[in-house]
Amino acid sequence: MNEGIAGKLAKQFINSKITPLLMVASLLVGIMATFMTPREEEPQIVVPMVDLYIPYPGATPAEVESRVAKSVERTLTEIPGVDYVYSTSMPDFAVVTVRYKVGEDAEKSMVKLWSTLMKNMDKMPPGVQFPLMKKVSIDDVPVLNLTFWSKTKDPFELRKTAVGVADELKKIKSIGDVDIKGGLKRQVKIVLDKEKLRQFNVSPLQIARQVQMANSQMTSGDFKQMNQEIIVRSGRFLESASDVGNIVVGIYGASPVYLRDVASVVDGPEEVNNYNFFGWAAAAPKGSVSGEYPAVTLTVAKRQGSDASKLADKVLARVEELKKSSIPAGVTVSETRNYGATATDKVTTLLEHLLMAVVAVTIVVGFFLGWRGALVVLASVPITFALTLLIYYLLDYSLNRVTLFALIFVTGIVVDDSIIIAENIHRHFAMKRQPKLQAAITAINEVGNPTILATFTVIAAVLPMVFVSGLMGPYMSPMPIGASLAMIFSLLVALIATPWLSFRLLKTEAGHHEEYDITKTGYYKIFNTILSPFIESSFKRWVAFGVVGLMLVGAIALVPLKAVQMKMLPFDNKNEFQVIVDMPEGTALEQTARVTKEISAYLKTVPEVLSYQYYVGTNAPINFNGLVRHYYLRQAKNMGDIQVNLIPKDERKSQSHDIAKKVRAGVQQIAMRYNANAKIVEIPPGPPVLSTLVAEIYGPSQEQQIALAKQVKKVFEETPGVVDVDWMVEADQKVYNLVVNKERAAFRGVTAEQIAQTLRMSLAGMDVGVLHTDKELEPVMIQVRLPQSGRTSLQDLSGIFVQSQGMGTLTTRLRAGEMIPLSELVTVEEKIQDKSIFRKDLRRVVYVTADVAGATESPVYAMLDMDKKIESLKVPGGYRVTPLYTANPTSEEKLSMKWDGEWQITFEVFRDLGTAFAVVLVIIYLLIIGWFQSFKTPLIMMIAIPLSLVGIIPGHLLHGAFFTATSMIGMIALAGIMVRNSVLLIDFIQIRRAEGADLKQAVIESAAVRTRPIILTSGAVVIGSIVMLFDPIFQGLAISLIWGGVLSTILTLVVVPIVYYMVEKKSAKL
Amino acid sequence: MRVDIKKIFFPLLVALPLLFAGCGNREPESIKSGQKVSLAAAVSVVAVRSAFVAGGNEVLLVPASAIFRKGELTAVFVVGADNRLSVRWISTGRFMQGYLVVLGGLDKGEFVVGVYSPELVEGVTVIKSVTAEDQTNE
Repeated sequence: MNEGIAGKLAKQFINSKITPLLMVASLLVGIMATFMTPREEEPQIVVPMVDLYIPYPGATPAEVESRVAKSVERTLTEIPGVDYVYSTSMPDFAVVTVRYKVGEDAEKSMVKLWSTLMKNMDKMPPGVQFPLMKKVSIDDVPVLNLTFWSKTKDPFELRKTAVGVADELKKIKSIGDVDIKGGLKRQVKIVLDKEKLRQFNVSPLQIARQVQMANSQMTSGDFKQMNQEIIVRSGRFLESASDVGNIVVGIYGASPVYLRDVASVVDGPEEVNNYNFFGWAAAAPKGSVSGEYPAVTLTVAKRQGSDASKLADKVLARVEELKKSSIPAGVTVSETRNYGATATDKVTTLLEHLLMAVVAVTIVVGFFLGWRGALVVLASVPITFALTLLIYYLLDYSLNRVTLFALIFVTGIVVDDSIIIAENIHRHFAMKRQPKLQAAITAINEVGNPTILATFTVIAAVLPMVFVSGLMGPYMSPMPIGASLAMIFSLLVALIATPWLSFRLLKTEAGHHEEYDITKTGYYKIFNTILSPFIESSFKRWVAFGVVGLMLVGAIALVPLKAVQMKMLPFDNKNEFQVIVDMPEGTALEQTARVTKEISAYLKTVPEVLSYQYYVGTNAPINFNGLVRHYYLRQAKNMGDIQVNLIPKDERKSQSHDIAKKVRAGVQQIAMRYNANAKIVEIPPGPPVLSTLVAEIYGPSQEQQIALAKQVKKVFEETPGVVDVDWMVEADQKVYNLVVNKERAAFRGVTAEQIAQTLRMSLAGMDVGVLHTDKELEPVMIQVRLPQSGRTSLQDLSGIFVQSQGMGTLTTRLRAGEMIPLSELVTVEEKIQDKSIFRKDLRRVVYVTADVAGATESPVYAMLDMDKKIESLKVPGGYRVTPLYTANPTSEEKLSMKWDGEWQITFEVFRDLGTAFAVVLVIIYLLIIGWFQSFKTPLIMMIAIPLSLVGIIPGHLLHGAFFTATSMIGMIALAGIMVRNSVLLIDFIQIRRAEGADLKQAVIESAAVRTRPIILTSGAVVIGSIVMLFDPIFQGLAISLIWGGVLSTILTLVVVPIVYYMVEKKSAKL
Repeated sequence: MRVDIKKIFFPLLVALPLLFAGCGNREPESIKSGQKVSLAAAVSVVAVRSAFVAGGNEVLLVPASAIFRKGELTAVFVVGADNRLSVRWISTGRFMQGYLVVLGGLDKGEFVVGVYSPELVEGVTVIKSVTAEDQTNE
């Protein structure tokens, strides 16, 4: 036998002194890499997403849409790399969201966006203000939330404490954005007194102007005197409330009117604009206080590429120190999110899993090869992982749940090469035909080259997964890359380290020299009994094929029968979920707070809930899901978020998804009572989408779209298993439109702008400057506004005056400065607020959204259920609306509907994985043709691939699990493993035949000889996967590998030799 | 390092509230234990009523004595249908003869505790005794 690459390599290293050094060095760098690679929860996903806020004051949504949104969208879609463009046109402004393709360079995208936008700014209608651009990225998601709450302190004091802490924390290295949610800022309020204003003849606008002018200071220049430069400075900034009160705002009679004469100047908290409360719930540690307390949340984001757990530790340590100094005694700081800890948890779990898998595999190997053989395998695994981790570090990957997934996934596979080599050396040592060194090299030569081929088959199987596109891409790509690298390293380890170790560890039992005879081994006897009848009788052969074929058909039939359901990814077991409360537009802040509080009071009683915190009027700290769903814009008065923290997963029996399902009914019952819409939002395991189920409704007009949306919404509500139904159509909100009577205003010397500004100042308040104090960390605004009690009705507004700018006509001479009541100049029109207009990819769209839970967990089945009902809906024009699945509608002239949400990603992933699988088959085929130089043999080997389905699908049924994307990955990987088994099997048959053995004898012998390594390697895969079985996400993968592995191994060992025999017999006859 | 923090922080998380509950004023505990026996005491409640103001607009009114403040936050104690006390954050408008106009947070006909006292604790069950109000008929 001539030596292949494998043999040469082994010969070089088997006695080399460098081998042990290499092994130790690899281990060391691997351990270093493990500690240096940053750890985080979510994979680093680069999806450049930019929000553009374009103000267009005074415009209606329709105007905003046609003049701003449309033209901006059109120019933005010209940019290469842009995937989607969404826009929302609201009264007074537009939000345009640009989403680039996954993996586009963030900086380049921003530059392209900026230049395209600037190029087209001149085409904007007058009145449009400069757009605000905000890049949204994964690093905006806070990794640590600290809730400051107190029994005695109010939100104003809490915020002050939190701001102080935030200022200190900012000094920590590698910290990202530090933000504060909730609480009340310090503000100098100029509360206008309408009566006094009229009495002293001062208008609100005048006050604003005077304050602005008084609050200035500047360096005027310098002059020279006696060889000295003397600086001249003029003015003085406002430094306190009394400074503000002492501003002269007008002259009445002969005396000055001070601001304090016409308004009260209050230095203190701003007017309440949010409610943020924290409370311990049913599962709180004993002795926790009951009730709920005002809270302020400090959120900490990390810098890109830094380690979440290290940052969290540093921050917590710093906070601990600050408790002694700047955090007052009455304030409690609770950790309400720590992704650093969860990331570390994940890493620890992985390491445990790896260890368990390696130990389990070692025991199995030990069972077959003795403890010395087991030791060889045990030593080679850590080296492989060490090198893979090093590559992760060098490739700038972080240790997150996806990269870890890749490692768990390959555990069972990377030991295989070592097992095969070690087993064969062991076998040759046992045969004692040659001296020890010679035997080892022969053994490596025998299996070395097929092992190389087999390794590349497995790589060929997993690598095409790199090409999964869309948002799922970054979730998938570390896996094929990690797995392929690990495979290559495991091959090198198997060819370099394993022979060295085997040569030293494996013993040839000295003593009686009995000639090795294969026919005497147990394996041979078994296979002789099993295979002989099928080889001898073609009838029995066909019966066997028929049975296997039936099993295959039966297994596949389980899918259309819905015994095994498809789902993209199952829910992970998390320690938190959110409740999103939407009141009808136009609901007062306090009413929203009340409903949110009531829902919280219910959640508080749920036994698994540790604590809760609700945010009304300000958004809860976002997670990755919220980032994509734009939850950071949830700051309106009709919106409330409840953050629910559960007790750690090992302390509760139910999975977070089950808890979420359980509380849904109770939450929605309360919400229904107040006409609110409450959704339970869980952290999706995969890429986040707008909602699990999304129906996009396109059509010729907004009215028709909304009418159809209403019907679709009803269909959603009536379908079992579809929950949290909502739509993105705002409720009717009352608007008083104060129309300026132009003639009258002109005659009274008042401009429309004056009226608009006065009204705005009175109602919303106007910031007229900043108080210049050194001590405050947050800017203290000076705001002019009417007191809340003075702006509750139209009557209140009519008491506001504007100052005439004077008017000289032929008949009248109106002197400037006369106070004219607003009621004289405006008429009131009551109407309904125009609804926002949503657009996606240049089309107007109305979204109906929902989630699935309970009766069906997979959106695809719910969609199929609803399709018929939607098709039977009546629309004006009398045509049918057939929901579209993959393509956008071709025209907007007719009403149409497209499914989106999780479906879009599911479709993309299964399409790409399907394509990947097809490519895998072709590559494997080519590889084996290259090796065996035959077109037929590869086909025989690939028979094993479909056979794995016989195990995979019933396996899912047995576990009651979904066939998920991870199951699919398992299936693809299994294809590689099974083909490798066939390769090893057939390669040996051919070696034996080349040595002159009879076909039948060669077939049975090879089955007998190869059974041990095949069972060992498959057993390693199966046992390595068992640890994954309890993880909700990786369950599918584990089931695929375990059941697919077991069944197709058994079938491979029987079916492949028989088929090979059959085919070869025919060609032998010819 | 990480383990240390965990070890310190979690007991701290437990201990702090404990400490808090222990060293602070003990009223929640005492009232809680007392409420079942004695404090099922009657609390006089007043229904939120409405009135018409100039211009024909309807407004909701609560007695000024019912209102308490926590910093800038304004609240009343509401007695729900289950006879439990709960804090309700409200926003108030002008003062009208011993009453305050409620702008948001309360519905007409809800029962609020007529006179706020710092002893009241959220979540406690009480017996309502409705104070009749003659002004409602005016």
